[in-house]
Amino acid sequence: MSVAEILLQQVVNGLALGMMYALLALGFTMVYGIIELINFAHFSVFMTGTFFGLTVLHLMGFTGSSASLTGLPLVGMLLLVFPVTMALTGGLGVLIERVCLRPVRGVSGTAPMITTIGVAFILINIVLMIWGPQSKPFPKIIPDRRWAIGQAEISLAQIFLAVAGISLMLVLNFLVKRTALGKAMRATAQDMDAAKMMGVDIDRVILLTFFLGSALAGAGSLFFGFYYGFTAFYIGYQTGLRAFTSAVLGGIGNIPGAVAGAVIIGLIQALGGQLLGVKWTDVIIFSILITVMVFRPAGLFGTQTPQKA
Amino acid sequence: MKTLTTWWGEAPWVIRWQRMSLVRRRQVWAVVLLGVGLAFPFVVTGGGHVDAAANAYTWVVLALGLNIVVGFAGLLDLGYAAFFAIGAYGYGAAASGQLKIPWSDVWTPLLWLGQVRRVPIEGGGELVQLQISFWAMLVVGAMVCALFGVLFGAPTLRLRGDYLAIVTLGFGEIVPVVARNWDWFTNGAQGLGGVQTPKLFGFDFGFSPFPYYFLGLGMVAVAVFVSFRLQESRVGRAWMAIREDELAAGAMGVNHVHYKLLAFAMGAAIAGIGGTFHVAKLTTATPEMFQFPVSVMILVMVVLGGMGSVRGVVLAALILAFLQSVVLQELTLWVNALGRAVGSPFLQRLQFITALELIFGLILVLMMLFRREGLWPAVRRVAALSREQQSALPSRGAAIELSWASPKSVVVPARPLLEIEGLTKRFGGVAAADNTTLAVHAGELVSVIGPNGSGKTTLFNLITGLTSRDAGTIRLEGQEISGLPAHEIVQRGVARTFQNIRLFNNLSVLENLLVGEHARLRAGPLGAIFRPPSVREEERRAVESALEVLGLFGNRLIPRLDHPVYGLSYANRRRTEIARAIVTRPKLLLLDEPAAGMNPAETLELMDLVKALRGLGITIILIEHKLDVVMDVSDRVVVLDHGVKIAEGKPVQVRNDEKVIEAYLGRRRRVA
Repeated sequence: MSVAEILLQQVVNGLALGMMYALLALGFTMVYGIIELINFAHFSVFMTGTFFGLTVLHLMGFTGSSASLTGLPLVGMLLLVFPVTMALTGGLGVLIERVCLRPVRGVSGTAPMITTIGVAFILINIVLMIWGPQSKPFPKIIPDRRWAIGQAEISLAQIFLAVAGISLMLVLNFLVKRTALGKAMRATAQDMDAAKMMGVDIDRVILLTFFLGSALAGAGSLFFGFYYGFTAFYIGYQTGLRAFTSAVLGGIGNIPGAVAGAVIIGLIQALGGQLLGVKWTDVIIFSILITVMVFRPAGLFGTQTPQKA
Repeated sequence: MKTLTTWWGEAPWVIRWQRMSLVRRRQVWAVVLLGVGLAFPFVVTGGGHVDAAANAYTWVVLALGLNIVVGFAGLLDLGYAAFFAIGAYGYGAAASGQLKIPWSDVWTPLLWLGQVRRVPIEGGGELVQLQISFWAMLVVGAMVCALFGVLFGAPTLRLRGDYLAIVTLGFGEIVPVVARNWDWFTNGAQGLGGVQTPKLFGFDFGFSPFPYYFLGLGMVAVAVFVSFRLQESRVGRAWMAIREDELAAGAMGVNHVHYKLLAFAMGAAIAGIGGTFHVAKLTTATPEMFQFPVSVMILVMVVLGGMGSVRGVVLAALILAFLQSVVLQELTLWVNALGRAVGSPFLQRLQFITALELIFGLILVLMMLFRREGLWPAVRRVAALSREQQSALPSRGAAIELSWASPKSVVVPARPLLEIEGLTKRFGGVAAADNTTLAVHAGELVSVIGPNGSGKTTLFNLITGLTSRDAGTIRLEGQEISGLPAHEIVQRGVARTFQNIRLFNNLSVLENLLVGEHARLRAGPLGAIFRPPSVREEERRAVESALEVLGLFGNRLIPRLDHPVYGLSYANRRRTEIARAIVTRPKLLLLDEPAAGMNPAETLELMDLVKALRGLGITIILIEHKLDVVMDVSDRVVVLDHGVKIAEGKPVQVRNDEKVIEAYLGRRRRVA
């Protein structure tokens, strides 16, 4: 393969990865947009989501050794497993907000962030206790079909990830831009007190934001499982940090920016891994994170710097 | 005075203790605790406990270092273990055979000093083998870590605090990755081995835990001492002011970027020292020793003890280290034995040590939900004022005078003190200042009035550098001040209060005022730690000066000197804020609705003070809504409406100005 073809292959891989980071980055950016909180628990919600998905699949009779599905059964199964997993992670997000974060809402300083770190640790260790430290194989129910684009290949899983990811983002976009809930969310993000005085039930809006963000993370969990074919208790941290970098790159609080940032991070991961070696991927990504924060704290697409009032 | 009813209440040593000064009590505590620490290895049996205690001291030192960053300065550092790692690998590489450097004559001076050896290698040639002294590396490690702290801190500390958390998290992730992959320096995942142990005057620390125990104890003692000294200094007050309200800290003369960086660098330096010690003791370093959970564990120690509470952090670090190295392991052994006795395989397999991170998570969440101030909080509880003190009639100070201010009635310079020309500031399409021009002469008392949203507070924000202007100039004594950071404007003699009081809530009244004196004081971190006579004198004068200003408010604030300001009444908080502004010794004092929320009598009392301050030669610009007050005290009144100056003149003139009436009451329909 020529260099150009290798690059093309990595672009395809990178775009697919970008979809997964985007789903995760949206949760960060929505929560930050609305209550200005960096939610470290989101890492763990994502990781827990992979185990929710695995459990749902097990309950449906799929195990690591199951044969892949085709045609209608595949579509039907995906239409079932996605909503259930997303509802479960969404519920987890709601639980976290209601129990741990609402009491510290509006507390100044580092307390809310420290709370989310605590929640992240608790979740990781609960998963560790229930499912153990070994990594678990994910059922390969998506058949390993590949199509050639020149010398590069695109797999069915990648196409499927792209389609599902884009549809979920379109749904989110519709929710935020066209519905009453979306209007309430945008109002709360602008000015919580004013929204409250205008009759917006901000508790409910924040709860729903956590639900949506965590549900998208749940979709990201399934992507992770189907894409890498395994899960383990430690996966949330690295993937979560990359997703967070995406959100920052796109301008935290900026929903389309998060998606664009995620695609960029996916590409950087794929290409950087190819060019410099996989072991340096995280160093590259975090160097980008730091560089962006230093030179463009509002993100590549942001218009204003978030500053303390 | 509460009467003591306990049996020991009358004992002579109790009486003596109660009569001791706070400083003396602390000295007694220090001697007692140090004695206990020194006696510990001789009391316990077996080296295991001494070893565990020596390890625990490493954590205490690290927790105290992080406490400077998180507790004092309020910066969330999630990658603290990275600095620990840099210190550790620094010593590890400098005192083992890891680095394979060919010999060259550059190394000769170090060879003379015995810090390197020439080692012949097979097939000819020679290598340098580093064996740098542990004591030198303590210093070098601290400096290298501080340098990394500055490198990472300098760009990010300008941003809001959340970003620092992320950048430090990223840094904390990168360092172990580098440690795992940079084989030449770190020997990769296997880690460095064969690190030499410290030597002191020919005595080799070796592998016995005892020397490390005493060295660790010494480090803890130094770290505690340094923490206390910093906390009660100009530096510590600046940190806490930033933690409480960064913007107000800037407006009181604290250069917040500088002080945040200082906190970050000092925390990093302490982590470097901790890392050097840790590796010298273990004689090995692997990437796993410095992962994210380690950073979190140190954070848990700070949170559990109480952010900013030195004694709390020490206690919590000891508790958690004890939990980790003794309690959970003993518990596991005990439960496993129980499992064998009752034949339960479940109990036999139980490993409590794996629950450690769960415990950390629970501690973080529970502390944040239920006890944010920590187990042993930093804020001292102060006895409430007695009923008599509370209901005491407000009294005035004998005379309103300040040692540093005098009526400058003789020469009024021709040039105005403050000159504003063409000042413009737009927020989107709204002009909060539209080509405003204003001149204020020394000794004047000018009031700025105008309907809500007319740009009064924006004018103050522009003058004090909190908001950047779009166009125009602001000159103080002929010097351009627009574009300067807020803290420099304070240094040039402009102080302000805020419309919605911005005090440092968890600091006492006195401490708030001492922050106000920040710009005039000089003590740096070294002065704070060693407290030479010059610094003592400076502190004494600072307190004196603060008391003098508080005296202006009669018995309103003096009895509440040591009370945290969040507990004060609204009016007293306003007074504290005004006092905090006065204590900067301003040439120009900007008061933003100082009488808001005060009753008529309190308002009159305040306005008498304002007039007296003017009489002392302090130029004042006052924003006030109570028009009768304004008309009474002002030399001149400026009226703003939609960012435009619509009238200016003596109170009487302004009162009858058509445009002013119109701005306040709306256009009057002309009667035909």
